[in-house]
Amino acid sequence: MNKDPYKILGISQNASDDEIKKAYKELVKKYHPDQYQDNPLSEVAEEKMAEVNQAYDEIMEDRRTGTANSYNYGYSGDGYGADYQSVRRMIQSGNITNADQALEAVAENQRNAEWFFLKGSVCYSRGWLGEASKFFGIAAQMEPNNPEYAAANNRMNYNSSGYMNGSRNVYGAPRGTYRSNGDDCGNTLTALCCADCCCEMMGGDLISCC
Amino acid sequence: MFGYVRAFKPYLRVCEYETYQAIYCGLCKEMARLTGQASRFALSYDVTFLAVMNMSVNDIPVTARRMRCPVHPINKRLCVYDNKGLMYPAFVSALLAHYKLSDDISDGKNYQKLLAMGANAGIDNGYRRAALKYPELDKRISELMKLQAEHENKREPVLDIACDPTAQMMREVFGGLTKDVQKRVKLEKFGYSLGRFVYITDALDDLRSDIKKKCYNPLALTDGVKIADGRISDDDYKRIVEITDLSINLSLAEIADSFVDLDLKMYRATLDNIIYVGLRNVYELVREGRFNKRMRSKGDKI
Repeated sequence: MNKDPYKILGISQNASDDEIKKAYKELVKKYHPDQYQDNPLSEVAEEKMAEVNQAYDEIMEDRRTGTANSYNYGYSGDGYGADYQSVRRMIQSGNITNADQALEAVAENQRNAEWFFLKGSVCYSRGWLGEASKFFGIAAQMEPNNPEYAAANNRMNYNSSGYMNGSRNVYGAPRGTYRSNGDDCGNTLTALCCADCCCEMMGGDLISCC
Repeated sequence: MFGYVRAFKPYLRVCEYETYQAIYCGLCKEMARLTGQASRFALSYDVTFLAVMNMSVNDIPVTARRMRCPVHPINKRLCVYDNKGLMYPAFVSALLAHYKLSDDISDGKNYQKLLAMGANAGIDNGYRRAALKYPELDKRISELMKLQAEHENKREPVLDIACDPTAQMMREVFGGLTKDVQKRVKLEKFGYSLGRFVYITDALDDLRSDIKKKCYNPLALTDGVKIADGRISDDDYKRIVEITDLSINLSLAEIADSFVDLDLKMYRATLDNIIYVGLRNVYELVREGRFNKRMRSKGDKI
C-alpha cells in the first residue's frame, strides 16, 4: 500500500515549497542516523529516513515537472489511469523487475506517453540503452511539450551522436570521433597548413604562396 | 573475451606503452604461474585492460624486471613481476576461457569441437584453481553462460536482450575489482556498458561469417534484413551498421560517464587512451571490415 507523500511529511497538498522544505528539514533532523548510533531504534529511524527522503523527492519532482498534482493513493487502477506514481517509485528504489511487470500489465491500447517514458526508464536502469532510446523517442513524440520526456530524449540523442564525457582532456582524442570525417588527403592539407604556420612563426616558410 | 578492448598505440606515450607492454607480458607469466602453461593462450588485450584497471582502482604501482620470454627469444622483455595486481585478471581469464571453450564444445563442429576439448583439458587445472579462488564469480558466470545459450537457442532478435548476459558477466568481473561498496556500483555500471560494447562489436565483426554458416547473430535478425545465398545486401548491412552505431555510441557514453565518475588517478593516461580512443578505433575498424582478431599490430594502422 502506497502512502501519500504529503502525509509522510505531515503537510497539506496546498503547502508552499518553503513549507515543504521546512517540514522535510525538521523530519531529517528528527530521524538523522547520528542520533541513533548504538540505539536499537536505529533501524526504524533508517526506514523512516528513507521514507521521508522519498516523499520529499517525489513531491519536488512532481512540482518541478508539473505532472501529477492530485494523488490517487490507495486507488487500485481498474484498467484505466494505471498507477504510474508507484511505478516511478519502484524505479527510483531500484525495484526494476516489479516496475516492468506493472508496466507490462497495462493493455496495449492504453499505453500513453508516460507509459513509454517509464518503459524507457526501466530499460535504461537495466542498461538496455537501444530500447531505452526507442521508448524515450516515442514518449517525446507523443507529448512534444512535456519537458521530462524531451530531456530524456535529448540526452539519448546527444549521447548517440558519439559524445563521450571527459574526452576533451585526453591527449590525442579529438572530441567525438578520433578521426574527423575528412579524408586522409584533407588531414594532410590541414597538417601542411599547420606546419606552414609554425614555420612562419619561426621565421621560415613551408608554402611560399601563403 | 575477444581482444576488442585495447589501447590505440600511436597515441600512447613511450612510457605508457612500456608500462602497458610490461603488464601484458607480466600477465602472461602470471597466468603460467597461477593457472598453468596452457592458459597463456587465453592472454588478450581485454585481460590486460582488466589488469590496468585493477592496478589503478587499487593503487598498485608497477614492479617490473627484464625477463626471458619464449615468444621473444632475442631480447629480455620488461615484465611486471611479483605484483598483486595481476592475480585477479589471471584467474578471471582462466574462468572466462573455460566457459568460452565449453561453449565451443557444445556449438562447434567436428574439428573445432576436438580442438576446444583439447584446449579445455589443458586449462582444466587452472580453471579449477580459479573457481576455488573465486567461487561466487564462477557460479555467476556459469549461470550467465546458460542464459546466453538460452537466448541463442530461441534466436533472440532484440539486441539489448541478446547482449545482456555478456554485459552482466562483465559487470560481475569489474565489480569484483573492489570491496568498496560505492566504487563497486560505479565499476559495475562501467563493466555492464563495456560488456555491451564488446558483444555488439563482436556481433558486427562476425555478422557475415555467421550468416554464411547460418549461426545465430542478433544483428542478422534485424527487421527487414533478407538473407540470400548466405549473404546480405550492402543496403541491409548499412541499416545494421546504423543500429550498431546507435548502440555503440550510447554504450560508449555510459562507459565514459561511469569512468569519469570513478575518477581514477593511476595509469590514467593509458586508461584514457583505451576508453576514449582505443574502443572507438576498434569499432571503426570492425565496421569497415579491417579488424583482424589474430593480427596484433596491423589493427593499429590509421
